[in-house]
Amino acid sequence: MIDKQIKGYEDSYIIEGKMALPYSYFAGRVGSKFITTIRDKKKIMGVKCPACGMVYLPPRQVCDKDLTDIRDNWVEVGSSGTVTNFTVVRYDDKHLPRKAPFVLALIKLEGADTPFLHIVEECKIEDVKIGMKVEAVFAEKTTSTILDIDHFRPAVETLSVHERSKLRKQWVPSDEPETQEKRRGGKPDMSKPVIITAALTGAATMKNQNPSVPYTPAEFAEEAHKCWKAGAAMVHVHARMDNGFATHEIDRIRATHDAIKQKSPELIVNLSSAVGMGKTAEQRISQIVEIKPEMASLNTNTMNFSIIDRKTGKIFIDYVFENTFTMLQDFGKAMEENGVKPEIECYDMGGLDNTMLISKQGFFTDPMNFNFVWGVAGGQAFRAETFIAMMNALPPKANFTTCGVGTDEFPCIMQSCLLGGHMRVGLEDNIRMPNGELAKGSYELVEVAVGVAECLGRPIATCDEARAIMGLRKK
Amino acid sequence: MAHRKKNRNVGIIGVGQTKHSSHREDVNQPEMIYEAVSLALQDANLTMNDVDCVVHGNMELFEMIHQPDMWHMLGTGAYGKDSIRITTGGTSGATISCAADNLVASGMYDIVMAIGFEKLQEGHTTAGITNMADPLWFRKIQAGALTGSSAYDVSREFGLERANRVSLTYRIIMDKHACLNPNAHRAFGLDFSQIDDLIKSSPKLVGDLKLIEMCSQSDGACAVIYASEKKAKELSRRPVWVRDHIAIHKEEIFTIFGYNRAFPVTKSHKFAAEQLFKRNDIKDPLNYFDVFEMYDPASWWAIDWLRDFFDLKGDEHLRLIEDKEVMIGGKLPINPSGGVIASNPIGATALVRVAEAALQVRGGAGDHQIPTPVNHALASGFGGTMWTVLTMLEKELNW
Repeated sequence: MIDKQIKGYEDSYIIEGKMALPYSYFAGRVGSKFITTIRDKKKIMGVKCPACGMVYLPPRQVCDKDLTDIRDNWVEVGSSGTVTNFTVVRYDDKHLPRKAPFVLALIKLEGADTPFLHIVEECKIEDVKIGMKVEAVFAEKTTSTILDIDHFRPAVETLSVHERSKLRKQWVPSDEPETQEKRRGGKPDMSKPVIITAALTGAATMKNQNPSVPYTPAEFAEEAHKCWKAGAAMVHVHARMDNGFATHEIDRIRATHDAIKQKSPELIVNLSSAVGMGKTAEQRISQIVEIKPEMASLNTNTMNFSIIDRKTGKIFIDYVFENTFTMLQDFGKAMEENGVKPEIECYDMGGLDNTMLISKQGFFTDPMNFNFVWGVAGGQAFRAETFIAMMNALPPKANFTTCGVGTDEFPCIMQSCLLGGHMRVGLEDNIRMPNGELAKGSYELVEVAVGVAECLGRPIATCDEARAIMGLRKK
Repeated sequence: MAHRKKNRNVGIIGVGQTKHSSHREDVNQPEMIYEAVSLALQDANLTMNDVDCVVHGNMELFEMIHQPDMWHMLGTGAYGKDSIRITTGGTSGATISCAADNLVASGMYDIVMAIGFEKLQEGHTTAGITNMADPLWFRKIQAGALTGSSAYDVSREFGLERANRVSLTYRIIMDKHACLNPNAHRAFGLDFSQIDDLIKSSPKLVGDLKLIEMCSQSDGACAVIYASEKKAKELSRRPVWVRDHIAIHKEEIFTIFGYNRAFPVTKSHKFAAEQLFKRNDIKDPLNYFDVFEMYDPASWWAIDWLRDFFDLKGDEHLRLIEDKEVMIGGKLPINPSGGVIASNPIGATALVRVAEAALQVRGGAGDHQIPTPVNHALASGFGGTMWTVLTMLEKELNW
């Protein structure tokens, strides 16, 4: 039987045949776990080589670069990633997973160092580009194969808060329609960007209360960066030693300040001039003069500043926080002379009045920036009407922000945002989320503040807008 | 990389090739191989009695036969002799050359014949290549063998217009070479004046990889005879010495195409060339070699890889092509045979590179012999998804 003949070869046979061969493939434990984790947990796991640091995806038992056994070194990688290369399949064949044309792409998932192959759909073929962000769509029905990830689709590009803010028209001082009269009438300009500050540590909050409290410069840099990404324009910093004690040592404070600026160059760093309990006036101000941050806290009143059990009234630590008129004057002058904008801390109306008295000397530059502090044991608790009274007592052109200790944090920032003021949150003031769970870091509290602003329709200030509003000069 | 000098020198004393063609219905596989084997024996003026060992290789599964070394006994002449089968994907042809070289250099055999073949028309290349992929996470979503990634990379770096013109210039140089080689499968008679037309009219396969730029599927076989220095000098007036070879296999399959700049993987071509040149103390390979037979599956890969092999900077690799320095008569002629784009019987392809380089050194390449003296030649093999074999040939035993 002659199956087929080609012209010019009439004297030769061609035997046509077809083979379809069954086979088994033993995936092994590593391969099996990769697939079953996708199937059962909708998680994509790779393995990391501890010797060379490569994160392999798909996983393998042995790192082929150095033959290290890495079978147990599982790490979760993201379910979204970047297209590193792709091809368009333009022919149909039985073994292909889709009808042509379709896109097969090499996708490097977040956290992985090697790309792996999958289908990209839900977009036009011509829109697929190297570098595009894609996310996994898990299959509805499992087949216990790699197709338990059904395909990848273009990821919704999630811009950070500041990236989004930079897309809108930027606020400039000439946009200021707000007058003291309007504010008194309870009609603030809600289009004015709201500045979110993250107070990362304070002097007293320790890791045993919330493990995210930073101590080392690197931890500060990391926490501050997360807050910046979440929407904070400024961080307020009390530097710590490795054992967690608040420090006035200039080198340590500088290292902390510089680490933050290095990782997040845009961010405004506001250093504390309180530092911590038992520091002398000299220790408190000399570090500000040396380091010259863009902003620093300026305290306005000698007051009790204690730790009291809120439920029983029992005194744990009793302490007088000394801020004499002389200190208010000297610190304020030193800051203004060194280009450091004071953040004027008012723990009650008396502190505000103290400031107004000293300001008659004329060294405070406009705009003055006040922070209304609530809930310190020794200061006043948050009350809405007190807030309004303090706001109405501010000098013209002044800005105000607010912070509250413990559960005072959320109502006070909401009120401030509502009245055209700014917001400070963070582990210094409060370690818990509104639902009572420990915050994963100050950045989670920043996210709450962002939510408040968004509810009220106020844009979030970028770092440069915050500078323009508060009258800072970038350093 | 640990590497010792050869135990004894090895020379190539015989080369045989079939005509490469899309259809060889007139011969079966062993018959086709027999053509190459008898031509090589004739070229070396030997009989099969003189050959001590046969090394045989092609791609796995491409012809859907098992144990081709047994089937092919009818044509290889290996009956009653030591015979070794080697398959390393696209590099098979180059690997059997390495093996033959090593078998002679070791002292185990005085004369070894290497045979590479493929009858691509008989099998299903894509099915074979798909079987390369891991069934657990790739085979279900695997396509065929073509890639436009070099086209993308070169165009992105140098602009599409220039990149396209360089690719087509290279392609036409290869065609002009193929027209001088009676064994070449495809020789169209293209001319540089057709570049603009071809850019527009040639169908695109993947991205900017066009049909005209891609290699063929060919039927063909090649046999090369290796002899110890003593035997080579006795038997041949013009043996071609195998100075060194290097074979690099890396699991780069999905990291080389999805090239990760954070974890740069030295491409295996670049890596192999660096190692080979370093251990042979060749500082300026571009000037050292007189001819280069490159495994060039498509013109885009050829122009991109040129930079890797010779560690060229900036756009030097493009200028070499634009200035036609890679053409016969140029500074470093590449593939006077027409190369892989002209003929691609895969299991033979990489051995053909060694055979053609040897012919150039010997001065026996016929119409496609380059006119200037050839003292130093380089041949490359490419396979798997990014594997490299390089072979250095010399006219004189003086290194």
